[in-house]
Amino acid sequence: MIFSKKKITLAYTVVKCPKCKMIQKRKFTEGDILFSESSKCNSCGESTLIEKIFGETLEK
Amino acid sequence: MLDFTNLDFDQLFGMKDDTNPLMMLVWILPIILFVFYGQRIQLYVTSSELKKGIKKLDSFREESRTELIDYLKKNIKLEVDPVKKIDQFIDYFTIMPVDMDPNGIVDKVQHTVRAREDYTREHLKSLSPQISDLELSKVQTLLEIASSLQMIYKIINHMFLTAKKQNNYPLILPLQMILPFIMEQAVAMKDSIPAFKLGQPVGDGIGPMVVGKMMLPCEKQTVSFQTVLAKTNFEDRTLYLLKAEGPGSTVGRPADALDDITSNSKIDAIIMIDAALKMEGEDSASIARGFGAAIGGIGTERFTIEAIATSKKIPIFSIVVKQSISEAITLMTKEIADTADDVSAQVYEMIKENTREGQSVVIIGVGNTAGVPQ
Repeated sequence: MIFSKKKITLAYTVVKCPKCKMIQKRKFTEGDILFSESSKCNSCGESTLIEKIFGETLEK
Repeated sequence: MLDFTNLDFDQLFGMKDDTNPLMMLVWILPIILFVFYGQRIQLYVTSSELKKGIKKLDSFREESRTELIDYLKKNIKLEVDPVKKIDQFIDYFTIMPVDMDPNGIVDKVQHTVRAREDYTREHLKSLSPQISDLELSKVQTLLEIASSLQMIYKIINHMFLTAKKQNNYPLILPLQMILPFIMEQAVAMKDSIPAFKLGQPVGDGIGPMVVGKMMLPCEKQTVSFQTVLAKTNFEDRTLYLLKAEGPGSTVGRPADALDDITSNSKIDAIIMIDAALKMEGEDSASIARGFGAAIGGIGTERFTIEAIATSKKIPIFSIVVKQSISEAITLMTKEIADTADDVSAQVYEMIKENTREGQSVVIIGVGNTAGVPQ
């Protein structure tokens, strides 16, 4: 369609620290698997767990 | 020379005189044209719209095939060139059993479908004997997508060409009506490819996601093909948590697993969590509760679950998360992912409402568990 906007879906990963409960949203990287261990927590240094992986659609 | 600056429009178009021959032609010619060639004109107009749709379907078919072959070449250590074999697989068809006598049809359908799945799995393995189960499930799903898009293109193109060949406008009407729905599904299938390639969860995976999270601290065991079971306790009730084995792309065989559980233990309730197609106007990611087996697919799993529940007089409760066809098979949206905790809370609430202490409940997370481990 001439006037329809182009849609782009970006994948995000939400990690949660099991100790201090801090939640961080970052871009999805290949190899991210739900409920698996991710990077160290920025505030307490504990290993974070991947809580959610989802996509957000943007219109251009 | 004709003087265009001095034209009498009233006279030319017969504004004053009804017998003007030019005006008569202007009115009568289209009438004659539409009486004799109306359907053919409509056929040409509709054809151009359909052609655009078919061209898109053709590109989706080609794109899905290329993506599959590229994925195999980049990610799998292959022993032979996959192109020829993949082209053969894509064209594979399934002949459903005769249903003139419906007695025993479910077993026959199940046998046919499982035989096809087993055959595809084994032959994909022959391309690369070292392939892991996770990669195999991804390739199998990508192959299913490519095969489905190929079939859709072939059927729609056949219907279109038949109508054109016969110059039959009424034959093209059902195609014109059905094409937007077909296109919606085809676009969704094409858009689902990146999620399956990257092993990301799809909207349909909300059921396995909820049950997978509940399973995390428990010991898991394989209970039927590509299906895992975990046993836990909640407020003096025994919970049997069941889902397809993730993070591979599979729906497992929950009916076989339920059969196994109910033959060894007394079950007092079954709770099924699944994604459900939303109606137009309904909010995406809204949660609804109900009765009966919430499970899609060809119907054989649902039939078996219902038969087990009926024979053992076990009530089945369901919780569904509403979504569109596109949301169900593409990367899970934020809204759907955000419902996971709410659904989990509703499951525990449902257990307390419908069972007493000392009773047992089977909780099944239904759907494709791509990207969702346990």
